[in-house]
Amino acid sequence: MTVSIDTRDTVRALSGAVYKYGFVTEIEADEAPPGLSEATVRFISAKKDEPEWLLEWWLTAFRAWQKMTQPDWAKLKLAPIDYQAASYYSAPKLNPGPKSLDEVDPELLRTYEKLGIPLKEREALAGVAVDAVFDSISVATTFKQQLADLGIIFCSFGEAVREHPDLVRKYLGTVVPQTDNLFAALNSAVFSDGSFAYVPPGVRCPMELSTYFRINAAKTGQFERTLLIADRGSYVSYLEGCTAPQRDENQLHAAVVELVALEDAQIKYSTVQNWYPGDAEGRGGIYNFVTKRGACRGARAKISWTQVETGSAITLKYPSCILEGDHSIGEFYSVAITNNLQQADTGTKMIHIGKDTRSTIVSKGISAGRGQNTYRGLVRVQPRAAGARNHTQCDSLLIGDKCGAHTVPYIEIRNPTARVEHEATTSKISDDQLFYCRQRGLTPEDAVSLIVNGFCKDVLRELPMEFAVEAQKLLAVSLEGSVG
Amino acid sequence: MSAVVDFPVKPETRPYLEAVAGSPGEPEWLMQHRRRALARFAELGFPSRHGEAWRYLDLRPLEQAPLRPLAATEVEAARAGGDPASAWPAAGLRLTLLDGRFAPELSRLGEMPATVWFGSMRDAIVRRPDLVGEALEALAADRDQPFAALNAGVFGDGFTLAVPEGVVVEPPIEILHLASGRSTASFHTRSLVTLGAASRVRLVEIYTGEGRYWRNDVVAVRLARGAAIDRVALVEEADAALHLAVFDATLGPDARLSSTALLLAGGTLRHDAVVRCQGEGARCGLYGAYLAAGRQQANFVTTLDHCAPRGETREVFKGVAADRAHGAFQGRITVRPNAQKVDAHMLSRNLLLGAHAAVDTKPELEIFADDVKCSHGATVGDLDATALFYLLSRGIRRADARRMLIDAFLREPVDRVEPASLRDHLLARLSARLAVLEET
Repeated sequence: MTVSIDTRDTVRALSGAVYKYGFVTEIEADEAPPGLSEATVRFISAKKDEPEWLLEWWLTAFRAWQKMTQPDWAKLKLAPIDYQAASYYSAPKLNPGPKSLDEVDPELLRTYEKLGIPLKEREALAGVAVDAVFDSISVATTFKQQLADLGIIFCSFGEAVREHPDLVRKYLGTVVPQTDNLFAALNSAVFSDGSFAYVPPGVRCPMELSTYFRINAAKTGQFERTLLIADRGSYVSYLEGCTAPQRDENQLHAAVVELVALEDAQIKYSTVQNWYPGDAEGRGGIYNFVTKRGACRGARAKISWTQVETGSAITLKYPSCILEGDHSIGEFYSVAITNNLQQADTGTKMIHIGKDTRSTIVSKGISAGRGQNTYRGLVRVQPRAAGARNHTQCDSLLIGDKCGAHTVPYIEIRNPTARVEHEATTSKISDDQLFYCRQRGLTPEDAVSLIVNGFCKDVLRELPMEFAVEAQKLLAVSLEGSVG
Repeated sequence: MSAVVDFPVKPETRPYLEAVAGSPGEPEWLMQHRRRALARFAELGFPSRHGEAWRYLDLRPLEQAPLRPLAATEVEAARAGGDPASAWPAAGLRLTLLDGRFAPELSRLGEMPATVWFGSMRDAIVRRPDLVGEALEALAADRDQPFAALNAGVFGDGFTLAVPEGVVVEPPIEILHLASGRSTASFHTRSLVTLGAASRVRLVEIYTGEGRYWRNDVVAVRLARGAAIDRVALVEEADAALHLAVFDATLGPDARLSSTALLLAGGTLRHDAVVRCQGEGARCGLYGAYLAAGRQQANFVTTLDHCAPRGETREVFKGVAADRAHGAFQGRITVRPNAQKVDAHMLSRNLLLGAHAAVDTKPELEIFADDVKCSHGATVGDLDATALFYLLSRGIRRADARRMLIDAFLREPVDRVEPASLRDHLLARLSARLAVLEET
């Protein structure tokens, strides 16, 4: 029952359903003028002092982006986005090159403290190396030395471009090409920073790597790029958490995450997404249009995605696995919550290319208020993928009679030895369950929290410890005001 | 209709816009409706595989070599001959549509209660516009589905069945769609079934033929309160044929629909079932099986819309794809906001038997009401190795054992069909096709 007590405390602490992270940090920002053109791309490149090859890469993406149109297949009500109204670069002005945390702008550090990621505390207690992205520039990276001793590279993307251009050039865009989709192309044209990690052969990364994203300045989109490479036989677990302060206008977040797992390597990528979802009337909130994809390039490689999606006004993302290596494994565990007027169209793609590849999909969707929640998942078995296996379990929970829960699985099989199973259910919290809980003295909100946590257990237990606790609290907060 | 048009036209639709639609003596309301539908078709154009609705069907051959609608004057009189193998030998009442036109000499319309209207669509348009007028204009599929729109524009004939309140037509009515093979063209047929309150019919539709042709069939069914229809479609088209069919049903309160479709032969087959459960407590069962071999394409598409509370849906679709065949199931169940207490289940099970065969399945749920029970399941795989071993260990030859298992797998949707003589006929057709499948 620890779960329920924990959740109940959180609900009490946060009652009033006010977005906890809705504050704005006043820092002088160096901004690009609004609008997107080749000139903007060149401006960002010059600002960041990027090499010529990267500028060319950006421009190629930009030209492709200009020819692309917004996808209309998702079950989302989405007004056309005015790309010219946003600013594409915003860097906090800071003293060049902070050597340690002590040199980082104290204002920034206080912001993180409010978010619950006190860097110093984490450094000491949790053993988490945090690469904090504040708007577009990475401001502090902890535990770098300890990781460097093992040969692990974990740094901001900009630094990786400067220090390890060969690695970046070798892998950048090989999983998510510049022309993959509208939002990936946009990201490829303007991404200003992000995280980069490389784990050398046979190394087991001793700590969870972590990134926190924040969208701070008004009217700035955020376009980070994450590139994670696990070399032969290595292991790495990566945590990503997102929060954004309260804003009235919709803000666009179009990130790209590329994972590469070579032979026998394992990557575990966990996300807790808590962007500002907009208020109860659907004003404001983040558009979270993220392209996440991992490639199992070698035999027996494994990529596991775990996501808890509680925020954002609109979520459109499909963390995917390309299972190229024989016997490689892809996993996807997801909890997605939509409350008030939130919309989510999320799921995964499992592309089986190698022999005896296996994939597991567990998706839990929860809709409350007037939220619309869609699971959209593709399982594709290519002709060469003999012995491929997939199991998909996809459950939806409806809380209230004005929300929607949708399931759109695509199962495309090209090899007769494949075995693919898909199950899905849609239901509401049964009156019996609620009655049972209430009979034992729980309030309606506590009862719902308890039942929802049980509903999501299969996914939550895949999260690293630090995240699991936070995720449970988030579930409770996200569902505030949906019952009773 | 003139070839001069004043609306946006997609190039691939052009050959069809010049077709002579209907006949000179047609009423003005129908001509207007035809013009509107053709304009819609021209605007929509051929569906793209990039769109969701036609993702799994390759229509390039049709785009490259258009099959123009057959004009009324081109239809030759039917020759006397035996029934095709697909036809149900025990059929009492039969209406035959030869190359898309009513062929009285091949039909047995028999004795019907006087209040029942049963005959060709052309006849009904002239003699009973009150029966068909409104219903022909109100088909939702004509707005969204390009080939349904084309059908509305150029259909030549079809059948009409109108059963008044309380009447039960006991003997199953067979509709035999034949293609003579004498013309390489497209046959567009449009039919209408209206059932009054608490009436009941059984309908058997058989599609078969020879040669290269495109059959574009639309059947609309309207069920009033408590009406019931049991419908069976057996599709055994010629190897070079393209078969696109839309079965559009609207169910009133407590109405009951049961539809079983078998796609057994034909080059490219798509069976579209569009069902709206509009009345409270409407019940719907959609069952189907496809058996695709060679380079066949077979698609089942179901769109089920629960608009009212307490509806019930059961969908069971089985598929077998062998050789280089491509089979697909795309199902969608929508439960509208006020449609509480809906109970809907959808199952798609598929066997993939050829190294170059492909199976796609997309069972989709769209739920806007919270007090519902909805689920779907899908499987794709080879025959169960344990079951196969069991049969082999009892001395059954591998080929026979496989055939037995496939036969058993595909039977489930057919098992519900009544009467027994019809069920036996369907199972016999299934077995006959399986025998061919195993030899190739």
